[in-house]
Amino acid sequence: MTCSEVERILPELLDGAPDGALPGGLEAHVKSCPACSDLVSDLKLIASEARQLAATEEPAPRVWVRIAAQLRAEGLISDPAISVPTISVPTIRDPESAPARPILVPTSSRRRWTSTARWLAPVAAALLVAGSYVVSHKPAPEMAKQPAPAAAVTAQTPVTAPVPVTPAAPVSAPAPQQLAQKSDKPTGAIRPAVEPEPSTEDQQFLSAVSTLAPSTRATYENQLQAVNADIRETQAYVDRNPGDADARQHLMDAYQQKALLYQIALDRIQ
Amino acid sequence: MTDPKQGISEREAIEQAKQGHEAAFEVLYHLHKRRVYSLCLRMVSNPAQAEDLAQEAFLQLFRKIATFRGESAFSTWLHRMTVNVVLMQLRKKNLPVVSLEETLEADNEAPRKEFGAKDVKLTGAVDRLQLQRAIDRLPPGYRTVFVLHDVEGFEHNEIAQMVGCSIGNSKSQLHKARLKLREHLKFMRAEKAKTG
Repeated sequence: MTCSEVERILPELLDGAPDGALPGGLEAHVKSCPACSDLVSDLKLIASEARQLAATEEPAPRVWVRIAAQLRAEGLISDPAISVPTISVPTIRDPESAPARPILVPTSSRRRWTSTARWLAPVAAALLVAGSYVVSHKPAPEMAKQPAPAAAVTAQTPVTAPVPVTPAAPVSAPAPQQLAQKSDKPTGAIRPAVEPEPSTEDQQFLSAVSTLAPSTRATYENQLQAVNADIRETQAYVDRNPGDADARQHLMDAYQQKALLYQIALDRIQ
Repeated sequence: MTDPKQGISEREAIEQAKQGHEAAFEVLYHLHKRRVYSLCLRMVSNPAQAEDLAQEAFLQLFRKIATFRGESAFSTWLHRMTVNVVLMQLRKKNLPVVSLEETLEADNEAPRKEFGAKDVKLTGAVDRLQLQRAIDRLPPGYRTVFVLHDVEGFEHNEIAQMVGCSIGNSKSQLHKARLKLREHLKFMRAEKAKTG
């Protein structure tokens, strides 16, 4: 066996022998060839050392704080602890920018949240249903031609003038089917250089948050921009890759994030 | 698996999390946070982004926890979910998960073994920090396959399924990743010897 032959078959062999044993011909060559011997032992060493890297890094404590806040915001926690002081939407952010700025919303208003969510539920649920319909049922080329589903939703359920409650998926207690639909939402959205005109419901949302303090309003505006960019970007990706189930799920989750942003902001305004 | 601080098992925590108990979510988070965060960090080589991805993986898990029936290991479920979250992020950023271009380019750039020439062996143990730095310098596609196989222990058929390539491609990328790491490590060692 020659060095070239070793080079050719090594990728197959190194992972095929759990105990590291090499076939006879190769073993004999490696023993007599210092270069191949070094190569084989180095590659085995790298593989074995790499395994030691698993689970060595500790995430910062803020990661759990943000997860707990988000779980509470989504109503997945039924016995809220008092240790987490704010609700935030930290997953909507530009990965290239500075660390996420959480939206500060007092959690002490749990009772108020519940009552407000009652009339906000149709908005959010309809947004989710519309997003889900687009993601699940529309072929990709049609999706590209569709107006933003949220616009159609809020034409019937204006943000600033909510309609009376009909039975809808309550935010604080999602049905199992909804739980299964929410998923696969990697963080981060790269914003395009030019923002398109805000849709009708976005204009209503922006009008509603304009009554808040300037810094808070700016935060909501930025978050809305980010989530819209995420939806557009993911939609474009789905159009290019209609068979990508992860991407379709991601799109659904982006709509869910937008619904959540509406709920948090409007709850604060109430 | 039991959280020593809370004194409840993973199975108990899962059942309580299904009821919406925050403490149970926290137990599950603390049991798996290192594994999840480490995986994210290895794959994206950016701590802030890794935090976001780990957070997203846990949120996705907790949103779906009501559907967990226990047929598979909880850690396996979470692990796969984390990989999917990271891969989705890489795709969104148009980074190659595994690409033909990278394979071809890497064929030209991949360090050669220089058979017959005098070579420096990576004797003894590899410094963990150096290995991590070398992994960070890998092209994203190589890094993905290397981390999934050599660090996380996935099989080639699983990797092929997750990243959407052939098993042969996964093996080839892994081999080239190791060769590149070897060169990086040797270079780092030589630099250290020069300055030290």
